[in-house]
Amino acid sequence: MSEGGSTLGRIARRSFLIGAGVVGGGVLVGAGVVAWRLGAIDGYELPASEGEASFGAWLKLARDGRVEVAVPHQDMGQGIYALAVMLAAEGLRLPLEAVRAIPAPIEARYANPVMLLDGLPFDEASHGALKQSVVWTFDKILRVLGMQGTGGSTSTRNISAQIRRAAFCMHDMLARAASARFKVPADQLRNVGGAFLTPDGRTATYAELASDAGKLKPNDIQPPPLARGAYVGRGAPRYDVPLKTYGEAKYGIDTRQPGQLYAAIRHAPRLGGRLDRAVIPAKILGVRGIVEGKDYVAVVAETYAAALAGLEKAEIVWDDSKASSVSTKDVFAAYRAALDKGMDFKPRWIVDSAGDVSKASGKEIAATYDAPFLAHATMEPMNATAFVTETEAKVWAGHQSASLVQLMVAKAANVPSDKVEVFTPFLGGGFGRRADLDYIAKAVEIAGRFKGTPVQTIWSRAEDIRDDVYRPAAMADISAKVDGDGMPSSFVYRIAVPSVTDQFVARALPSAKGGMMADRTTVDGALFPFYGLPTRSIENFTVDLGIPVGFWRSVGYSLNCHFVECFIDELAVAASTHPLDYRAKLLARAGSYEPAIRAARVLEQMAAFDKANPLSPGKDGAMAGRGYALTASFHSFVGEIADVEIVKGDLKVRRVHAVVDCGFAIDPPNVVAQVRSGINFGLTAALYGRVDFDNGKVVPANFDTYPLLSLEDAPNISVEIVNSGAALGGVGEIGTPAIAPAVANAVFAATGKRLRSLPLTFGTA
Amino acid sequence: MSVEFTLNGRPTSLQSPPESPLLWALRDEAQTVGVKFGCGAGLCGACTVIVDGQQTRSCVTPVADVAGKSVTTIEGLSGDVAKAVTEAWIRAQAPQCGYCQPGFVLAATSVISADPKQSSDQVLSQITNLCRCGTYDAIRLAVGYALTSLQGAENHEKGAAR
Repeated sequence: MSEGGSTLGRIARRSFLIGAGVVGGGVLVGAGVVAWRLGAIDGYELPASEGEASFGAWLKLARDGRVEVAVPHQDMGQGIYALAVMLAAEGLRLPLEAVRAIPAPIEARYANPVMLLDGLPFDEASHGALKQSVVWTFDKILRVLGMQGTGGSTSTRNISAQIRRAAFCMHDMLARAASARFKVPADQLRNVGGAFLTPDGRTATYAELASDAGKLKPNDIQPPPLARGAYVGRGAPRYDVPLKTYGEAKYGIDTRQPGQLYAAIRHAPRLGGRLDRAVIPAKILGVRGIVEGKDYVAVVAETYAAALAGLEKAEIVWDDSKASSVSTKDVFAAYRAALDKGMDFKPRWIVDSAGDVSKASGKEIAATYDAPFLAHATMEPMNATAFVTETEAKVWAGHQSASLVQLMVAKAANVPSDKVEVFTPFLGGGFGRRADLDYIAKAVEIAGRFKGTPVQTIWSRAEDIRDDVYRPAAMADISAKVDGDGMPSSFVYRIAVPSVTDQFVARALPSAKGGMMADRTTVDGALFPFYGLPTRSIENFTVDLGIPVGFWRSVGYSLNCHFVECFIDELAVAASTHPLDYRAKLLARAGSYEPAIRAARVLEQMAAFDKANPLSPGKDGAMAGRGYALTASFHSFVGEIADVEIVKGDLKVRRVHAVVDCGFAIDPPNVVAQVRSGINFGLTAALYGRVDFDNGKVVPANFDTYPLLSLEDAPNISVEIVNSGAALGGVGEIGTPAIAPAVANAVFAATGKRLRSLPLTFGTA
Repeated sequence: MSVEFTLNGRPTSLQSPPESPLLWALRDEAQTVGVKFGCGAGLCGACTVIVDGQQTRSCVTPVADVAGKSVTTIEGLSGDVAKAVTEAWIRAQAPQCGYCQPGFVLAATSVISADPKQSSDQVLSQITNLCRCGTYDAIRLAVGYALTSLQGAENHEKGAAR
C-alpha cells in the first residue's frame, strides 16, 4: 500500500480526517467486513477490491481514505467529473479534496435514459397521461438496454440527483453509526472534515465508522431540494483545471503503451469512394506496414512522423465508381424542390400543429432561411489507440459512450463484449463528434493487423475535417399572417433537412430500424413554440443526399432557433415594435403556458440589461447595431443580446449578454463558462462556418479554410443566471442556439440588411 | 544523425530525421506529450513551445532548426513569469476541455517574459492560439491576473475585461 503517489493524495491525507483511519497506509476498514447494503437501493454495487468499501452504485471508500464517486459520463470540457465531486462532497459533508471521480463501469445501471427521453415528441409543458405512460415505458426499456452516453446536455440531469441521494444515504448511515457509538442523538453530531464530533468533543472518522455503518439497514434518504450550500449554488474550483494548466491531463492522443506503433490515415477523397490499392514503393525508415481499408489507407510506423512520411510517399489508387458527385448547390436545390412541391410532395412528418393555418387571415409575411453544413473541429483531432489479440481488445480513446465503444470494438476486433476493455482519458473536445465511433472502429481494424501490438491511429486535421459527420445544412420557409397590430394569427414552418438520428442509428446500430418516430432534432427549436401562436404548423421534409450528418453542439436547435428568432425579428420590424416588446406581447398571448412564463422572465432580465446598457455608437464610421434572440433548448431558457459593428463590410461582434434559466445553477461559475463556450462556438458558425462539397469532395481542410473564432475577435460575454427553480435543464449546449440570430438581428439593426443565409457575410450580398 | 539541443533545461539528443516536425519528435521520441497536435500547419498554436524565449509552433518547425537552442515545453516551464501565468490560469479557471491550454500558457509566458511591463491588450494581441471551447473571456482574465501579480498593479485586471 503506497503512500498515495500523487501530490493531491498527500494533500488530501493531511487536510481531512477521513485519512486518520489510514494506519500505515492500510485502510482500517477490513476487506469484506463491510457489507454495504446501499447496493440494495442502488440496484448495483461498485466493484471493490481489497481494502475498499463499496457504498452502492455511486460511492466507494478507497484504500487511501478518499471517497470515490463513479461517473458514467465523459468529461469533454463540460466539467461533469468536477460536478460529481462537488455533489458527493457536499452530501457527505467532506472537503473537495476528500473526494475523487472515477469512471463508472460499463453496466446497465449507468444508463443515460435522459438523452433519449428528450427526443420523444412531447410538449415540455404537457403532463398528460399519454406522455407520462410513454415516458415511463421508454425509461424502463432504456434502463434495461443500459446505454451509457454523454450528449444532449444531460450529464448533470442524469446523475446529479442519484449522486446526491447516494451521498445523503451514506452520510445517514455513518451518522447513525456515530450516534450509536457515542449514544448521542444524530442531530447533535457535527461534521468536521470527514469525522463526526460530539458536543463533548469525542470524534470518529468516517473510515472508523464504516464497519458499524455497514451493518445498518440503509434508509432511502431523499435529499432536500437543491439550494445554496457549501459548494452547491456557489461553485468550487475544478480539480481538472490545474492538471490541464500544467499539461498533466492526458488525452486519448497522449496514450503511450509499451511497444506502441503509430498510424497515419487517409480517406477516399470523395464521399462513397473506395480504396482500390495502395503500396509504398520504397523502404522508409521506421515504417512497419500499410493497411488497406475499405475507404481508407493507413501507414503504420514506429513514430507518427514516419507514418506521415510513408503516407506521403504511398501510391494510392482510389476506386471512384461508387463515389458521390454531390456539391453544395445540389443539396440546396434538392431542399428547394422538396419545399416547393408543397402538398404534392408528402412531407414526411407534420410534427406539431394547432388550429387551422389555412383559415387564418391577414397580411402574409414570408421568408426563406438557410444554413450550411458544419464540421466539429475538436482541438484534439480524432484518434484512438487499440490493442487487439485473438481473444481480447483494449482501446484508449475519447468518446461519448462507453457502451457503444464496447459494442463497436467487440465487433471490429471479433471478440466478445466482455473481453473489451475501454479506457477513457480526457476528451480534447466532443461537441457530438465523438458520439460517432467510426474512428475507433477503424483504429481497432488497423491494430487488428498488428495483433499483440498497440497501435495509435491519428487523423490529420484535414482528415478530421473531411471524415466528419456534419451539422446538416438546412433550408426553411417560414410564413405568418399578421393582424392589424402586426401580431401573427398563423405560423407556418417548413424545414428541409436530413435526419441526424436516422443516420446515426444506421451507423451505430445497423440492425436497429430507424424512422420509427419523427426525428425530433430536425425541428427542435421550432417545435412547441413558447410564443402564443393561435394557429401553427411545423413540417419536416427529410431530404438526404448522402452527406454524413451527425450531432453537433445543440443539434437541431442550432438551425431552428436561428430561423425562428430571425423571423420573429422580421415580424417585429414589420409591426414597428421593439423586438423585446414584440416578444413580450407574443409571450403574453401564451397565457399560463409554463415555457412562456419562464421565457418571459428571461425576457424581463434582457429588457433590464438593455435599458441599463445602451448600445455604444460605432467608432470611426462603423455602423453599430444590437440584436436579440430568445430560445429554449434542453429544458433551459436563454436570451442573448449581441452588439455588433460593421466596418467596411467586416462584421465584428463587440459584446454579448446572456440571460440563462437552467432551473438551478449547481455550479454557477461553470454555467457561465459553459454558456460563454456555447456562444463562442456558435459565433464561429455564425461568422465563418461552412463546409462545402464539390463533386463529392469536402472543400475545407484546415483552420485556414475552416476558420475558428480567434481571441482577438471573441467578444466580451457577460452571463446572468436566473434560478427559476424549475427542474434542472441542460447547460453545455444552451449558449449556442441564440447567438447566430442575435447577431443576424443586430446586423439588420445596424445596416437594414437582412442576412438570411449563414454564415453572415456581406461579401456577395 | 542526431540533433543536439536543450530540452527543458537538459541536454538532449533526438534521433528523429532533422527535417521532420519538432512536434512529433517531442511527443513520440522525447515523450513530452504536453505539446499537442492541433493542425499541423502552424494555424492553431496547440503545439506551441518556447525556443530561446520565442513562442514557436513546433508542428511547422523542423527538428534541425532547434539545434543548439533551448526548447521549453509545458513540462519544463519554470520561473517567476511561468508561476504567475499558471497560477493566474487556475485562478481564472480558464481550461474547459483543456487540450489547447498548454499552448496558451506557453504563449502567454513567452510574450510576458519579453516585457513584463506590457499592458494586457499588448500581451493579448500577440497570442494567436485558437480554443474551440471558446475560453477567451477567462484567458483575458488570466492574462490580467498574471500581469497584476507581476507588476503589483491593479489596472490590468480592468484592462483584461476590455
